[in-house]
Amino acid sequence: MEKMKIMLVDDEERFLKTTKKLIEKKGYAVVTALSGEEALEKLKRQNTHVVILDVKMPGMDGNQTLKAIKTLYPLVEVIMLTGHGTMDSAIDGLKSGAFDYLVKPADIDEIIEKVMEAFEKRQRFEEKIRLAQTKKYMRSPREILKGDDE
Amino acid sequence: MDKNGHHRKEKEKQLKRSILTNMIIVPFIPFLLAIGVSFYFFTTALEDRTVNSLKRIVQDHCDMIDSFLIERKSDLELITNTYDFDEINSAKSINIIFENLKNRSGAFVDLGLFDSHGIHIKYSGKYQLKGKEYKDEVWFKKVMQNGYYISDIFLGYRNIPHFIIAVRQNRKNKTWVLRATIDTQYFCTLVTKVRIGRTGEAYILNKNGIAQTQRRSGGILVLEKDHEYVKFPESENSIQTFVKSDAAKNKYLYATTWLKNREWLLVVRQEKKDAYKSLYSAFYSSLMIMVIGGAIIMVIAIYTTERILKRIEHLGMEKESLGNQLIRATQLAEIGEMAAGFAHEINNPLQIIKSEYTLIQTLMDEIFNEDEIQKNEDIKDIEDSLDQIKLQVNRCSEITHAILKFGRKNETEDKLLRPSIVIPEIINMIEKKANVSGVEIIKNISEKAYGFMGDPSQFQQVMLNLFNNAMDAIEDRHGSSGGRLSITVCKKNENRLEIKIADNGIGISPANIEKIFSPFFTTKPVGKGTGLGLSVCYGIIESFGGTMKVTSEQNIGTTFIISLPAIN
Repeated sequence: MEKMKIMLVDDEERFLKTTKKLIEKKGYAVVTALSGEEALEKLKRQNTHVVILDVKMPGMDGNQTLKAIKTLYPLVEVIMLTGHGTMDSAIDGLKSGAFDYLVKPADIDEIIEKVMEAFEKRQRFEEKIRLAQTKKYMRSPREILKGDDE
Repeated sequence: MDKNGHHRKEKEKQLKRSILTNMIIVPFIPFLLAIGVSFYFFTTALEDRTVNSLKRIVQDHCDMIDSFLIERKSDLELITNTYDFDEINSAKSINIIFENLKNRSGAFVDLGLFDSHGIHIKYSGKYQLKGKEYKDEVWFKKVMQNGYYISDIFLGYRNIPHFIIAVRQNRKNKTWVLRATIDTQYFCTLVTKVRIGRTGEAYILNKNGIAQTQRRSGGILVLEKDHEYVKFPESENSIQTFVKSDAAKNKYLYATTWLKNREWLLVVRQEKKDAYKSLYSAFYSSLMIMVIGGAIIMVIAIYTTERILKRIEHLGMEKESLGNQLIRATQLAEIGEMAAGFAHEINNPLQIIKSEYTLIQTLMDEIFNEDEIQKNEDIKDIEDSLDQIKLQVNRCSEITHAILKFGRKNETEDKLLRPSIVIPEIINMIEKKANVSGVEIIKNISEKAYGFMGDPSQFQQVMLNLFNNAMDAIEDRHGSSGGRLSITVCKKNENRLEIKIADNGIGISPANIEKIFSPFFTTKPVGKGTGLGLSVCYGIIESFGGTMKVTSEQNIGTTFIISLPAIN
């Protein structure tokens, strides 16, 4: 099974640092980004499964970033992190395709739990894709040969 | 406030004045115009008609008198043309001729024959005038000169006012004159028979203003001089009309015209008051309509103004109360917004603290689990401290969430709350503060199993608010010792439970006690209290389906009584 890769996006540097340590202690790989722009930049280069995204950030805010991620990388699951006062934007986030949301201050265990759920969903999805591809290959084994040729 | 009220009254008065003025003036202008214009046209038409009728009368009269004189003259001329001097010059024949003449017109009084020397040769009539010499008389000279003559009224030998008509005949080298006297009475009747209204009269003056006829109103007699005459305007041939007042200041409307080759002036006059009688009645009725109409306009204007002002006042009051509500709502919304923003910002550092705590906890666990190092007292204290951090962070987060709930009507979670469990927990939060202030807390909570439905953090908010208020009141009265705060919970009846929070603080003044639940009312210095606490508490208890009351006595204490629906 693939090792889960998480990306944390928040404008609070200390939060990123500590949370990264905590998640890494649980045995997951963590990438951090201080802004929406940075997150999109890093997603280009690194394969990430789940993104934890703060709603309120300077520059590109959580919802804008979410939309960009969902457009560019539809398979990446996003969990919104909101400071309760921005409950409306959490709802907006869910409508734009976020997996779920968490209210600040959130326990690390809560975060991990949600991330795991998201990861499982993604895995199920990838499984489906794999199965579909297998069926396709079974129908025409030549395709495999063709694929090998290329 | 007083000044403001005064200012507003002044403004109201001004408004009232301007509305009233407009309400009166605007209808008054067309009203006056209508009355004025119709009155003007009516009076001019009436005046024209009056003057014209006077003119017509004077013209008709003038024609009539002129033709009378001409007829009488023609009568004489007929005789002189028909008869020779010798034929008339006999007592018998002149009497016959005179009789014939009298038959033609009753105006003739006598008839006389004169030779060219003015000797009265023959006479028929009741006076003894035969033989008298008239050679130097004015009339004789004139008749000899002009062929005929109609005299003014004069007394003559007979000493009675009369006038004569004389004609001269010149035939067979013989010149003679035939003269007839006209009955003054007869002529007067002819002239004065004009009757217009009550005072209308007609009379004749000669060129010198000597009255030739008597007049209906009496006054100036025949042959008396009319002193008004000199003041008559210069008159040409045509009819002249004018207004003049006599010695007694009565105004008369005059119409005059010349008669008998401008020797006599026919005057028709009527007292102005009489002539314009209908004009005056028109004036009075116009005046009356004006007064009545004006009064009606005034009354309607005053009534309408009063109504408009009342309506304006009513609207003003509505607006004011609406404005107050709006301000209150805006203030509440602003405070909510601010509180929400504030709480949101606090949540970020809380998140960091929580993460840090989790990291420390994880590290601690790793250290002590893997290496199995014996925990000494200090480590245990650290762990205890860590637990406190977790607890306090959670508490902070609850507070921020409560603020967010206040700011926005977020979903509340109603649970069955048991006072015997919830209240001691809340009391624990303030126990330290109470100890510092020397306040003794007396709990009297019945342990029986009953509760009520409500949101726990909201209930906590209410309780903390009341406790803090109570402690502030106690501190104000007792300083740091001698305070007492009692919390009593009991079941009032089958479905009602009562929470009483009593303190022995300074109490609330009767003036303030009515206002303590209204939003933004506070007795605390500026910046120390928002005045929202109790109003929010009141709202929360109401949302639980309960009521909140207060009783207070100054310098004895205050008691808040919360009554809630009880659930077993």
